[in-house]
Amino acid sequence: ISVGGVALGAWPRVAMEASELWVGFVGAGRMAGGLVRGLLQAGKVPASNILASAPSDKNLDAWRELGCRTTHCNLEVVHRSTLVFLATKPHILPGVLEEIRPAVGSHHIVVSLVAGITIQTLQRLLPPWTKVLRIMPNLPCVVQAGAMVFSRGSNAGDEEAALLKSLLSSCGLCEEVPESYIDIHTGLSGSGVAYVYLFAEALAEGAVKMGMPSALASRIAAQTLLGAAKMLLETGEHPAKLRGDVCTPGGTTIYALHQLEKGALRATVMDAVEAATIRACDMAKD
Amino acid sequence: VQKMGVNFTVSNKETVKSSDVLFLAVKPPIIPFILEEVGPDIEARHIVVSCAAGVTISSIEKKLSTFCPTPKVIRCMTNTPVIVREGATVYATGTHADVEDGKLLEQLMASVGFCTEVEEDLIDAVTGLSGSGPAYAFTALDALADGGVKMGLPRRLAVRLGAQALLGAAKMLLESEQHPGQLKDNVCSPGGATIHALHFLESGGFRSLLINAVEASCIRTRELQHLADQEKISPAAIKKTLLDKVKLESPSLSVASASKVSLFNNKSKKN
Repeated sequence: ISVGGVALGAWPRVAMEASELWVGFVGAGRMAGGLVRGLLQAGKVPASNILASAPSDKNLDAWRELGCRTTHCNLEVVHRSTLVFLATKPHILPGVLEEIRPAVGSHHIVVSLVAGITIQTLQRLLPPWTKVLRIMPNLPCVVQAGAMVFSRGSNAGDEEAALLKSLLSSCGLCEEVPESYIDIHTGLSGSGVAYVYLFAEALAEGAVKMGMPSALASRIAAQTLLGAAKMLLETGEHPAKLRGDVCTPGGTTIYALHQLEKGALRATVMDAVEAATIRACDMAKD
Repeated sequence: VQKMGVNFTVSNKETVKSSDVLFLAVKPPIIPFILEEVGPDIEARHIVVSCAAGVTISSIEKKLSTFCPTPKVIRCMTNTPVIVREGATVYATGTHADVEDGKLLEQLMASVGFCTEVEEDLIDAVTGLSGSGPAYAFTALDALADGGVKMGLPRRLAVRLGAQALLGAAKMLLESEQHPGQLKDNVCSPGGATIHALHFLESGGFRSLLINAVEASCIRTRELQHLADQEKISPAAIKKTLLDKVKLESPSLSVASASKVSLFNNKSKKN
């Protein structure tokens, strides 16, 4: 049930236990939705403890279906939550921060998902005592196979970092990093998911060219990527070694790999990661 | 060769008669000609080792069987760094060569580098990789040195450092259990000089160029072998052609020494 826009008094500081945690989302778009689904799937936080705000009901319907509470009032989210995720579009955030600033207290933990907004900017626009963290997730958080990196601001300590990590590990890989790695993560894994989709599409197309129906080819392509990634993660072996293991002398795989090398696939992928990283840096400067 | 203390003769026949292990180290088109000449002197005790690229065991056995019923033939492919005892050699044994004959050759060639037995059908691939390989390395070293010179190093130093870098890397790989990809990663610090350089190599399709090279050399070897097998040109015609060529190049040599003599004059060591 959506609550009206009446500001409530600040709630008392609550314990750090995940089950007693009140979690708020300012902004309820795709990335926020991915995180909350991960949180709920892992059973760390009950849906009724989660409150999300958005300008319209368009996104909020889905949240209500999950059992979360929703509102159109950002201030209410801050008043009723201890852990506040900022998940607006970048150009909207400064306005939102100005709006919620009066309600932010020293008990709050503010975690920004907003691309390109640095910790320095966040801390500048929020009260000086605010515990700020910045996180860059990626889309597969939705299916609990995400890759997330986060950095802490000046007032965020080990406790806050540990809390965030324990909550979000339910969504996938979650690692603390120096802030300078966040743009690189964007290039590698934030955007990287799209590179994989492209590759999967191309694989399937190759199969279709050779006579396989498209739907089957797509499923097999996806499973191939999943399986290969799983082997990489579980064996801990170097990808070059795993590649060599698949290549029987004079066999099909080495012939195919030669084609990939001729196309300078490696360099192209490096170029892609570099381009996305540089773009992320540039956007952050704007 | 004489300076090394090796006995030298201009008579192929003499070489054969006084040897147990006979290395045929002539150019591939000359092999049939040589075999015809020394065939009658080949006895059961002889181990005939051919180092000629693209010349099959069966072609040698065929030629020799008109003179000797069970010729022992071993085919090997080596490479130039045997000169500095860092050769890469493979060998395949023929129909009548025993296990001990192969082991004997392996012992000999292991003294000048790495040596192992393979199936004959892999020898063309070996040619492409380690047979021609030193040429790829020399080319790379020349270019690396150019890079060094461009960035300010004196040429001699650049060559020395480049060669040492490749030598060291090769040694690390041979002594390590790790995959070359891992060893590469170990050199690349994040955002550092090396990874920047590697990106350039990848952009230029460095890897595929090397794969192409090995493939081209292997395929060409097979082509040459195929041409030789077809025996379109009779040994007599080759002989005449080469004799004419040799006469043109070195008129002082006698006709009988038109082909090179084997480098090794071995009495096989029977342990």
